[in-house]
Amino acid sequence: MKPTLTTKLNARPRGQSSFFSKIWIGVPITTWLFLLIIIPICIMLVTSFYIKEGSVVVKKISLVNYLEFFINPIYLPIFFRTLLLALLVSLTSILLGYPLAYLVSRKVKRFRNQLYMLVIVPLWVSYLVRIVAWRTILGRVGVLNTILLSLKIIDEPLSIFIYSPFAVYVALIYIALPYVFISIFNSLEKIPKNLLDASADLGANSFNTFLHVILPLSMPGVISGFTLAFVIALGDYIIPQQLGGLNGMMFGNLIVTQFGYAYNWPLGAALGFIMFTVAVVILLVSQKFGSSEGFLE
Amino acid sequence: MNNHETEIQLIQITKKFGNFTAVQNVNLEIHHGEFFSLLGPSGCGKTTTLRMIAGLEEPTEGQICLAGEDVTYKPAYLRNVNTVFQDYALFPHMTVEENIHFPLKMKKVKYSSARTMIEEALSLVNMTGFGKRYPQQLSGGQRQRIALARSLVNRPRALLLDEPLGALDFKLRIAMQKVLKDIQKNVDITFIYVTHDQTEAITMSDRICVMKDGLIHQIGTPDEIYNSPASTFVASFIGDMNFLEGQVVQKGENSITIDVDGKPILSTRFKGSFSKGDSVVACIRPEKICLDKVCDSEFQNKFENHFQAAIHRIVFRGTDYEITLKFGQSEIRLIESASDFNDKKIGDQLFIGFQKDDVITYLKECKKVCDYETNLDN
Repeated sequence: MKPTLTTKLNARPRGQSSFFSKIWIGVPITTWLFLLIIIPICIMLVTSFYIKEGSVVVKKISLVNYLEFFINPIYLPIFFRTLLLALLVSLTSILLGYPLAYLVSRKVKRFRNQLYMLVIVPLWVSYLVRIVAWRTILGRVGVLNTILLSLKIIDEPLSIFIYSPFAVYVALIYIALPYVFISIFNSLEKIPKNLLDASADLGANSFNTFLHVILPLSMPGVISGFTLAFVIALGDYIIPQQLGGLNGMMFGNLIVTQFGYAYNWPLGAALGFIMFTVAVVILLVSQKFGSSEGFLE
Repeated sequence: MNNHETEIQLIQITKKFGNFTAVQNVNLEIHHGEFFSLLGPSGCGKTTTLRMIAGLEEPTEGQICLAGEDVTYKPAYLRNVNTVFQDYALFPHMTVEENIHFPLKMKKVKYSSARTMIEEALSLVNMTGFGKRYPQQLSGGQRQRIALARSLVNRPRALLLDEPLGALDFKLRIAMQKVLKDIQKNVDITFIYVTHDQTEAITMSDRICVMKDGLIHQIGTPDEIYNSPASTFVASFIGDMNFLEGQVVQKGENSITIDVDGKPILSTRFKGSFSKGDSVVACIRPEKICLDKVCDSEFQNKFENHFQAAIHRIVFRGTDYEITLKFGQSEIRLIESASDFNDKKIGDQLFIGFQKDDVITYLKECKKVCDYETNLDN
């Protein structure tokens, strides 16, 4: 019952892959998925129904944690604020990333690859280092304040830049932008040049060509870029922690707190599962959109 | 149909890509309602010429006129010509209907009248009922028709076709050739057709322009191109041709005699002036040559050129045989129908005859006969 490759090939007519050969190929990745993703999620889901009594977790099935999410006035506002911020971050990333990708893909001829690399290069630098860099830019004695002071635009350093939702917003865009750029750039690159020729030939000026040909054909890239940015922004808790201050707190921070200081794993699991559900819904919806728009192979 | 009203005029057009000259000093005049072909091997500049007419490339030098108006620097979207691209270039995110609607939308045609125009265009190419499909759901030939409908729906002054049948299989190509020709008659629009397929050009065109290496070699009707090619390149590119190398031995008033491997060959048609001793190439179409077992007086009277040669090779081609005979170092090919073939064998000594009016002589440009053939590859 251990068939070798050759005997399998000889035993079966060509073109019919055996049930087993399909299974074997899938085994490593399925194991990986189960051990590291599906089982932990299941554990989280189960834990979210437990209760913390005093300082011990009681394995009793209850909806208390989910009720807590809806009743306790701390969670829902931050939850919606997080959704809103993630939405704003991904929209802004698209608005910034699209022109950039369009420029690099369509307009620049010399130094095109170098420009592409320049946009991608931040991805090579550690995530934490980049966030600390933003602290030095936005901080009270940071780069931004120093410049504004020396230009005499302000008289004393402003503290509004750092420790605010604005700082989180800026830093999240910065983190998400390369991903948005890559996915839009790739979809722009896939548009055959002769479609643009055809568009011009059929009477469309460059604006109409963009509106009716380039934009619709690059929508898959826009959607996947949007999804990436949204999921990145939704789950981040380092940036709010480092740059957000009290008002910049996001849902991710609440979850971390439950697992950390508050030591309420069931509640943390419930909050985590709620966010997980949101992310999954977003991914499913965008996949639906993305695939129906995916005309170009 | 051909009222010689000039539709498109190219004056001294040159196009350079960096150091490479794609098109050089091209002068063309294309008449209204004409089926005009640009014919040549790949890389000869025919597509570049077409793209310049469409406005998709700007000429380095020269002037392009469309119906009397200088459009050299007018962008493509303002020109009243449309192109059918080699790979159709249908918009994959639009249905067939939306694809055909696109040029109308750009011209801001009202949707109500656009609807009937779309239906008309679809029925013109025999594709009524396919409006709701996406291009990916159509076969190659169907996509081709839709591309045609999309280009014609605006009734452009001229339709530019860039090897539109190149991607189709043989049978479909023949069928589409008929469709194209019929449509052209129906709509009375000037067609400019780029192809490397000489048969296609000859069967479809009113006039043909033969190009090579960015230069025009000849412009003429299919008849002129086939029967009086202007250069050895045209002679070799269009149809089958025998190239016999020799020297001019005698020069008369209307004819010259060429010595090819000891055989005197009389020619009355020549390009350029020759003097005695010049190295020349005598060209004769295989189908103009007759083969006989005996060389009687009738044969001799009919064919000024007649001599004996031995069969060197026989190739069966279905309806006929291609027979190669050898005399000295020279080879000559001819076509014999299957009914006349009569069991000829390799080595048979036979008489070949052809008329002096069928021999066209050119000054020798290439070193070897085979160079004429390799001309076709580059």
